[in-house]
Amino acid sequence: MFALLDISISVINLIVPAFIRTDRLNALVLLVVFSAIVIYFIRRATRGDKLYIRPLAGLQAVEEAVGRATEMGKPVLFIPGTGDIDEIQTIAGLSILGLVSHVTARYDTPLRVPVLYPMPMAAAQEVVRESYIDEGKADRVTPEMVQYIAGESFSYSARVGGMMRREKPAANIFMGSFRAESLLIAEVGQSTGAIQISGTAEPEQLPFFIAACDYTLIGEELYAASAYLSKEPKMMGSLKGQDLFKVLLLAVLVLGVLAVTFNIYPDFVTELFTAN
Amino acid sequence: MANQGNKGFFTRLQNVDRRVLFVLIFASVIVPLFFPLKLPVPVTPETREFFEAVEAIPDSSIVMLPFDFWPSTLAETEPMAVVGLRHLFRKNCYVVGLSNVGMGGPSIADRLLDSIGGEFGKTYGIDYVNLGYKANYQAVMLGMGERIEDIFPTDHRGTPLSEIPLMRRVPNYDSVSFIFVVSDNVAVDYWVGLVNSRFGVPMGAGVTAVMAPKSLSFVQANQLVGLMGGMKGCAEYENLLGYPARATRGMDSQSIIHLLIVLFIVMGNVGYFAAKRKAKVEG
Amino acid sequence: MKTRIPVAVAFLSGFLMIVAFFGSGEWLSMLTNEALRYMTIVAGFSLLLGVVSITQVSWGVVRKRGEDWPYKIILLIALAAMTGFGVLQGITGGTVFEWLFDKIQKPMMATMFSVLAFYIASAAYRAFRARTVEASILLVTAIIVMIGRVPMGQYIYEDLPSVANWIMMFPNVAVQRGIIIGAALGAASMSLRIILGIERTYMGRG
Repeated sequence: MFALLDISISVINLIVPAFIRTDRLNALVLLVVFSAIVIYFIRRATRGDKLYIRPLAGLQAVEEAVGRATEMGKPVLFIPGTGDIDEIQTIAGLSILGLVSHVTARYDTPLRVPVLYPMPMAAAQEVVRESYIDEGKADRVTPEMVQYIAGESFSYSARVGGMMRREKPAANIFMGSFRAESLLIAEVGQSTGAIQISGTAEPEQLPFFIAACDYTLIGEELYAASAYLSKEPKMMGSLKGQDLFKVLLLAVLVLGVLAVTFNIYPDFVTELFTAN
Repeated sequence: MANQGNKGFFTRLQNVDRRVLFVLIFASVIVPLFFPLKLPVPVTPETREFFEAVEAIPDSSIVMLPFDFWPSTLAETEPMAVVGLRHLFRKNCYVVGLSNVGMGGPSIADRLLDSIGGEFGKTYGIDYVNLGYKANYQAVMLGMGERIEDIFPTDHRGTPLSEIPLMRRVPNYDSVSFIFVVSDNVAVDYWVGLVNSRFGVPMGAGVTAVMAPKSLSFVQANQLVGLMGGMKGCAEYENLLGYPARATRGMDSQSIIHLLIVLFIVMGNVGYFAAKRKAKVEG
Repeated sequence: MKTRIPVAVAFLSGFLMIVAFFGSGEWLSMLTNEALRYMTIVAGFSLLLGVVSITQVSWGVVRKRGEDWPYKIILLIALAAMTGFGVLQGITGGTVFEWLFDKIQKPMMATMFSVLAFYIASAAYRAFRARTVEASILLVTAIIVMIGRVPMGQYIYEDLPSVANWIMMFPNVAVQRGIIIGAALGAASMSLRIILGIERTYMGRG
């Protein structure tokens, strides 16, 4: 019996490392637990369970800002971040653009989307076009709506600043990944008197946005925005799952800190959380 | 009437035209350049640790210096690369330069390596080299851990690495004693996350002031041996090295600008509270 | 069909990257390298889309003599010149492309970056008002750090630099880590939604 077990363990030891990076097993376990929790909550949400999501002032202000632009007959300026398409924040920005462009299409509010890189530009064009088709306004889509500006952030901010000064949008929405150009853009927008809503997961840029914008989504709130705005049960479920996982992670973090502080298997605990 | 005048004054204190502030900022930058105050620069622990770690590298070691910054931030980042090169060349270290910024990065590296190398009588190819730029920096950083020649078959001047005496001694990170990162972008996170954690190469970084608060977490976690945060960090390093240069000259301006901003913030708050009190008194 | 194919592509690519991260083997790294190479190729071609967009919009303004049309002509000339010299002569040392980049583009980029100093000052002046207890804490902290991090701070109060360093090293790092961990989880959850095809708003479909 034990010999059989020994052989099985040897076979596993031989085969598993050949296919799986055992040094990343800790991350794999985390991924599996995280996915399981998120999928569980998605299923609960699709079954019709009521899930409470804390209201986010910044997101409630999005519709209000578009409404204000409509009333004033001025454009809404939307920037889906200044990162490339391989950044998940850009995808989050494009998701929010999808929801905003539905509203601008519905109320015939002019929309301007200046983009820094060509790939997000192509994606943003598609997002806006689909939204306008959905609202039966395909003929209102123009090349000026989504524009490629420059592949360099300071040339980009100069151009966007000029756009803000000339066209005086009533609402500026900045959602995605931003670098040093965040304040250059937001401060010009502030000087034109536009209502400004921003969201980014870049910790360095948050203070600038908070100083120059009316509302700011901080870190993970950006990723929650599309779920929050669409009110789609599946997306709400994933948010709930993410929250529970965060609580679990915090608990593990506290236990880990205590273990290392009080010298309870410190090497094992450190090894357990080492990223490779 | 007098009350109304006061109210107007307090409101004005809160809403000074931004152009007035801009003119004062401009003057605060220019004037100290002509009339320097020469204030001594106190050294932060993270810069001292960085300096001491470089000082502790054995002389004649091989050090990598990525010039990961755009031309736009040259005012802040170039003095960092200069002070790093001076320190390394003074210790007779061999410097392998490269850049993860395509636009302008390699030419900046060329210019600085040649000029500072020249100060110390160093020769290209023997004492230092510029590998240039290759796209996709994550792949570049990981790939150099296996074999640098696979990633950079030639240097920035087009010479095959096999023909460069210095590079014949540097097949991968195993021969690199230290990485002196100078960066104005997210590349520094990847140097830490990919190269330090996977290959264990010790490194320190010079980053822009805006990036410093985030990068300090790497110092606290011992992933970076130390940090030069913005022009102030660079001025500290220059003084530790005994080469006060551009960053040190900028410190007087920075001191005055910070004081000016604080003064304006205080003014705004005085106006805010006085106006609020007046409104309360008047019911 | 229009959404199904992109969702399938997103699922397969995401799944491949997860497998590549946790799996080992020659074939796997070959497969991911190949995928990354495809990404580079697509990105290269997308640059053409950018050039088409900027030309289309600028030329449209010039033709209609729209607002600021002379600037659009300068833009189109600059675009043609940089592309032309880059293609004909290359972009390395000693070329016209590099001269234009060094002597025109670089100073302009540096100028825009330096504007940040002015904007930081005006944003700080406007934003730091002690309206609430939290805002007051933020205000006091900002003043300590601003003065404590410059040489003059030491003259005002000897221990100010140490207090500023403590704020930067502990409360600041703690907050940064909190935001980074939260954002990383948010990004992971969003990635999972994309891979599973739940999140489709980025394709214009709700």
